[in-house]
Amino acid sequence: MFVHIFANRLRCLLRDRETMFWTFMFPLALALFFYMSLSNVGKGEAFQEIDVAVVNDSWYQENQFFRTALEEASRGDDRLFNLTLATGEEARKLLDDGKIKGYIIAGDPPQLIVNESGIYQSIIKSFLDNYTQTFRAVEKVLENDPRIYQEVFDSLGNRKNYVKEAPAAGGKPDNLVYYFYTLIAMACMYGSFFGMREATDIQADITPLAARINIAPVHKLKAFLSSTCAALLIHLSEMMILLAFIRYVLNIDFGPRAGYVLLTTVIGSITGVFFGAFVSAVVKKSEGIKVGILIGVTMIGSCLAGMMYIDMKYIILSKNLPFLYWTNPVNLLSDAFYCLYYFDNLNRYALNIGALSCITVLFCALTYLFIRRRKYASL
Amino acid sequence: MQVYKLCLKIIKKNIPVMLIYIFIYLSVSIVVTLSSSRQNNTGNDFTDTKANIAFISGEETPLIEGLRKELGRQANFINLPDKKEAQQDALFFREVVYILRIPEGFTQKFMAGEEVHLEKNSVPDSAKAAYIDLAVDQYLNTARFFLSTMGDVTQESLVKYLDDVLSQEADVKLMPAPAKTDVYGLVFSYNYMAYSLSSILVLGMAAIMAAFNNRDLRNRVSCSPVRETAANLQIFLASLTFAGVAWLTQIAFCFFFDIENVLTMNTVYLLLNSLVFTVCGTAMGFLIGSVVKGNEAISAVTNVVVLGSCFISGVFVPAQLLGETTLRIASFTPTYWFVKANNQAAQLTQFDLSSVRLVLSDTAVIVCFALAFFALSLVIRKVRRFS
Repeated sequence: MFVHIFANRLRCLLRDRETMFWTFMFPLALALFFYMSLSNVGKGEAFQEIDVAVVNDSWYQENQFFRTALEEASRGDDRLFNLTLATGEEARKLLDDGKIKGYIIAGDPPQLIVNESGIYQSIIKSFLDNYTQTFRAVEKVLENDPRIYQEVFDSLGNRKNYVKEAPAAGGKPDNLVYYFYTLIAMACMYGSFFGMREATDIQADITPLAARINIAPVHKLKAFLSSTCAALLIHLSEMMILLAFIRYVLNIDFGPRAGYVLLTTVIGSITGVFFGAFVSAVVKKSEGIKVGILIGVTMIGSCLAGMMYIDMKYIILSKNLPFLYWTNPVNLLSDAFYCLYYFDNLNRYALNIGALSCITVLFCALTYLFIRRRKYASL
Repeated sequence: MQVYKLCLKIIKKNIPVMLIYIFIYLSVSIVVTLSSSRQNNTGNDFTDTKANIAFISGEETPLIEGLRKELGRQANFINLPDKKEAQQDALFFREVVYILRIPEGFTQKFMAGEEVHLEKNSVPDSAKAAYIDLAVDQYLNTARFFLSTMGDVTQESLVKYLDDVLSQEADVKLMPAPAKTDVYGLVFSYNYMAYSLSSILVLGMAAIMAAFNNRDLRNRVSCSPVRETAANLQIFLASLTFAGVAWLTQIAFCFFFDIENVLTMNTVYLLLNSLVFTVCGTAMGFLIGSVVKGNEAISAVTNVVVLGSCFISGVFVPAQLLGETTLRIASFTPTYWFVKANNQAAQLTQFDLSSVRLVLSDTAVIVCFALAFFALSLVIRKVRRFS
């Protein structure tokens, strides 16, 4: 009987195009949109050589140290500047046209002309500050002892990089991957549409189909579990395709622990399906209201988990709303994926999965309590 | 005017769903307005950018104290808990972009001329990390320069020298920009309209069209004493009323969020764009309603079409951060031209014909889209009628 109900339910659910769209096509489309709009955002943060001009006047030509410093900083693969020599007027025009971030007029001190404050303008200023400061340091040392002229210039050429990147314990701090994790978490919770259908179609006072199933000589729990297994199988398959699409087509990194990523997705899918079953069992209203509750809870959960605005998770949820942090399945799921990607240990991951499992067991138990032994005097 | 009234009834039935989009618009606009008002308004003076960093020192010496003081010009110091996980979290979610760790015994080794390094965790290859690197290296290289050229120097006198030398700054002059550069924050409330307004328009129009696509209803209207032309005219008028009310509501919210610029010429062009875009959204709704059957399918198509075009056209993410390929694909949607026209209208400082020509040409592209959607839906309806 299990196989009979399971197989028929599978066909039923696969023909439900609306549910298939929201649980499968919509997350896929959203992942693609995320990728198209976010894949370039990281480059906004990355350092790019700064387009800068210097006024090629007699001061610049005669001041060999300044010219050398600027040319050195504009040479090689790890250069700071893309340098253009220009007249004052040309430099101003380049600035007005947005082709350079600023232009330099050599002098003592050198002058920087910009039309806005920003990180790149600040880096140019830092460079000029450094030049002025080094010049001042040389003056100070030579004032003290003019005989060590050669030593001073030898020492100047001996600049070092004093800061080294510490070896990272896990993934790179690339926060764009987190948006995809929240999307997978949301898609897991969209499994609730399947769960809702299962719980609806087993309660005889809600649909005629459920009334028919209830008079069949099959134990209610057996019928419910068989059809829920079919729902789970479909949703899990959808999630695996989504995961594969995000990992292999969009090339989003999940860290080295693929097995745990799959485990998290399976638990997420079960949570989603039983969340839908729970809502459907508890709320005795129309299907529209149930769908409204499912979408509302999932979207608020996703929003709090940082799907639309990442600070929402870090600043608001993690630091100020610990209760919602631990009871929001979307947050627990996306945080679990984040831990697998970013941390080298599994402590926080285990806590997330523990909390999520508790929530899932609670949904299962409550659904069972609401559905079991319900008899209908009249329908 | 029965047909007209029927259309309005259908719209009224869909108001709760439309309110969701208004709610989303309001929530997002409030968040964006609040976060953009938090950003520094630099006025007429140049201000150094400050990066958020964590400064974790294993020792307290005059040299390290001097470094901290010097970095204060380029950095805001953020206190993080002394837990590796919390520090990693802060870097990932950009509470800080740089964590600088000074190992115990650094000063002693540095003063002795030994090879020593500081450790950092930073957002890889970021401009802000390069900025802080530059400052730390300058401080320590200058210190090393004094140590190697001045012989026996105590830590206190070294810090004094550094303090004196590093207070030297280049002269920076801030020129007035010919165009406003923070376009995203400036026209966000207008650009975001592309999501909320087009969702509302498509949902409403598609709901009307879907109702009239019902065969029984169509037959009933056909056998009524109302002429087909009159019925169509009433549908057109109802659509116009609906689109007009939706546009006015949306504009009222835009004015609310951009109150200080309401009386500028830029707003006139933004209004013109939004009006043309409203016509285009209505035509798109007309097309979707003509093609798609069933309310569930309408909601699915609306979400994918509207959400998708907003994602790739610069509504949710500023257009300058989108890839070239993405923008090229986006140029096949009216949303792209709407956002482009808005961004250009917001940057206008002169309003002669040559300056506004770029805005108007983008607006003209939106008109072409509207005509194409409308023509296509008429063709589809005609083909369906004869099939």
